[in-house]
Formats: sequence, C-alpha cells, structure tokens
Amino acid sequence: MKRIEEQTHYEILEVSPDADLKEIQRAYDHARETFHADSLAIYSLFSEEEMRKIQAAIEEAYRVLMDEALRKSYNQSHSHLIERSSMEKQAEKSVKSSEIKSSLSFTDISIEVGEITYRGKSLKQIRERLGIDLKAISAETKINIKTLELIEEEDLEHLPAMVYLKGFLKAYARALNLDAQKLIEGYFQLFQERKKK
Amino acid sequence: MTRDQHQRVIWTIGGGKGGSGKSFITTNIGICLSKLGARVILIDADLGGANLHTFLGIVPPGPSLSDFIKKRVPHLKDVLIHTGVPNLQLLTGAQDLLNAADAKSAQKRKLLRSIKSLESDYILVDLGGGNALSVLDFFLMSDGGILVVTPEPTSIENTYRFLKSAFYRRLRQAVSSFSAKSLIDEAMDRKNEAGIQTPYELLREVRRINEEDALKMVEEAATFHPNLILNQVRSKKDIEIGFSIRSACQKYFGIQLHYLGYIVYDQDVGNSIRKRRPLVLENYRSKAAQCVSEIASRLANSHRPLSSP
Repeated sequence: MKRIEEQTHYEILEVSPDADLKEIQRAYDHARETFHADSLAIYSLFSEEEMRKIQAAIEEAYRVLMDEALRKSYNQSHSHLIERSSMEKQAEKSVKSSEIKSSLSFTDISIEVGEITYRGKSLKQIRERLGIDLKAISAETKINIKTLELIEEEDLEHLPAMVYLKGFLKAYARALNLDAQKLIEGYFQLFQERKKK
Repeated sequence: MTRDQHQRVIWTIGGGKGGSGKSFITTNIGICLSKLGARVILIDADLGGANLHTFLGIVPPGPSLSDFIKKRVPHLKDVLIHTGVPNLQLLTGAQDLLNAADAKSAQKRKLLRSIKSLESDYILVDLGGGNALSVLDFFLMSDGGILVVTPEPTSIENTYRFLKSAFYRRLRQAVSSFSAKSLIDEAMDRKNEAGIQTPYELLREVRRINEEDALKMVEEAATFHPNLILNQVRSKKDIEIGFSIRSACQKYFGIQLHYLGYIVYDQDVGNSIRKRRPLVLENYRSKAAQCVSEIASRLANSHRPLSSP
C-alpha cells in the first residue's frame, strides 16, 4: 500500500526494474488507456485531483524511463527503493506475463477493435523512440527495408493489397511489441479514408 | 499430510450487481471442474433470488440447508442434492442464513465449519449481488473471492463499492485497537468527519493513532488477492478493461487483483438458460462455453490440492 507519490516510476507503470523499452512503451500505452477521464475501468473510483496526480506520475515515469541517461541517474538516486521492490515484482511479473498471454491468446472470437489504433507514422514514431533501427526490424521480421519504409510512410499506392499487407503489418507490430490488431485496423481505416477522396 | 486430510478449495462468487452472470458462471465452472474429475459442491447463497437449481434444470423443493439448521437431519451432507451431473452436488437455502439479521455469528461460523468439512474437492458458493455484512464475511472467509463484472459503468461502480466494503471489513478484522476499528467504520461513510476518502488516507489516520495497527493494515493489503471475471465481453477493448481494473485496484487500494479471464457475449447463453440446460453441457462448442472452461481449468491448475510427499 503506497501512495502515488511514494511509488517508484517502475511501480507507477507496473513494470519490473529491468524492463526494456518495448515493455515500458506497452505499459505506458496501457496506463494511459486506463487512467484517462472516459475510461470505463476506473468509473467512480478516483476524484479529479487523484486522476491528475496519477496522469502526471505516468507521464513523468515514461519520460524518465525512456531516456537512457535520465533512467540511469534515477536508478542511482532511488536504488534503495528499487532494489527492495525488485524481488517482489519479479515473482509478480512472471505471473502477469503468463496471464496476459493465456488470456489474450484466445483469439477465436469475433471482436471489433478499440479506438486507439496505430498507423505508419505512429509506428515510425514509436520505433524511433525505442531507438530501434529499421534494419533491425527487417532482420527480425524478414521484411525488406523498402516495404517497411512504405509502411511507415503510409504509401498505399506502392504497398501490396490489404490481404498481403496484413502479414507484414502483423510482423512489424510484433517486433515492436505492439498490438497487431490495432495496426491492421489503423491501416484499414487509412484505406477507407483514401478511397473516399 | 495424511491421505484422509483432504484439502478443499472454497471459491465464493459475489460482488457487483444482479444480472452480471454470477449464477451462470458458478454453475458452469462447477460442471467444468466436475468434468475434470473433481468432486464439486455448489452452494446457493444468493439473497437476491436463489435459483441455481433452475440453472441446473432441477425442480425444487428438495432438501435444503434449513433442514440441517432445524436439526431435521443430522449431517450437512444429508441435504445435498444430486444434480444428475456426475461428481456434482448442490446445497440450496444458504441465503436464508445470510439474510437472517438475528443469525448469530457463532451460528454462521458453525455453518462455515460444516461446509468446510464436506467431502469435496471444490466448493463454489454463489453469493449473489448484495454487500450485506454477512455476505462480505462469507466472501472473505473463502480461499478465493471471485468478482463478476460486466463492462458497464453500473456494474463497475457496484463492484468497486463491494470491493471497498470487503477490503475495509478485512482491515477491520485485522486491526486490534478499538480506535482503529472505529476509524475504519467511519471511513466507510463517504461523508465522514475525518475527511477520509481513500484507503491511503485511512492508513495515514490509523498510523497517527496506532503504528502497530497501521502495519497490520499494510500486511492485509499485501495478502488480499480477489479474483476478477469479466462477463459479456463484446470487443477486444472490453477484454482490456479487465487489465485496467487490475491496474486501478493497484493504484487505488494497493492490492493485487487476479484477472482470471473473460467470457464473451454469446446468444447461446440465453438459449441455454431458457432451456434450463447448462451451457457447457448443452453447447460445449459455443464461444462462451469455451471461455468458461478456460477459466475453470485455470482455477483447477492454480489451486490444485497439494499432493502428499
């Protein structure tokens, strides 16, 4: 039981102290989705003031943990707090990741996709924030760099049809640890918008 | 551990509001567990209208808990009803005891002891939607309390209200000083004079008067792990609400909630209830039945009785 002000950046984002940038990005997306004013999941629970506090803490945690230098100095100045919680969190984390996998791997259901979607440009932004080279993505996904660039530029004219594109999008999203469905949906919307014009 | 010292696992299903699917879930999880080869007893303690028997297609009235309380039968096992499903028995009438304002807590404790001594691997108690004190006590006395929520503001609001009541009740049982207990009572009222709005503010006030009790509260929070099932999920976004509720509980209460799983919205559920045939028996391939069975196997795995060395 710790007040928001007493929680470390890692506790705020619910990640372990050795979380990599992908995990932090994902945790940040989840935290933002959870703690915004219209979020159904927190209905009736927090006062406006508490919400502001939490949102500010989330942004600050993200800003510090995504920056290598800032994170390092934060880890040093807070080492006593981080070390202690690291042990407890470790056990928790292993439970959590298995939980997420098993619950979300059940895909045999028809579902629409949430409001938050990714497109090429946001993909590029996230990739750059994570400091990942396009070459690395290409190596991991076995998609050639030209195609990846077209995806980021949202160059629909030179990209293959959606049927083929889906596989590429899925692989790229996975490489960034993002929800593939949200990228596919985002691109789908893109196609529809262009059609109208 | 000897062979006859059998370990029972008791799950209570409660919280939220009526209509969120607690009885449906209790029945169908119970059947799934019995199909896995475990002995299962379902207990109907829903104050808002006990009708687990209807979910199972059994016609009342059979023997009920009151026959045992009024000493018409010597043992609690004598009032268990066979459901027609192998390994699955039903106990009805537990709601009367929870409802009785004059039922002494000694009597409730005695009942709980009798329940715990039943020959079974799993005991599932359907508590219904209320948050009367005796319901909270039942919820807290089990090995695991399960909350059933649907992705609607009304359901979520009621769930948090229930969770807050249960959490404060648990804290109240843990602290020993009278002053700490009365502070917790006061905090239950939103408009309390001390201005306590959140669990942290309560902790701060308790720490001011009794450091030892404050420590106990922190310990209780660390060991309180309610479970969550999200029902009537219609979109991927709905599924994520479960994870968000977990994060919200961590931030607000400082407790770790377990997200057991979700059940998709499925027309087949309504059809099976109208037919009075449990979904997992009537239509095992339906989406909702698959979700229920996944949750049941998760329950069976994480709480498998310890085997002797």
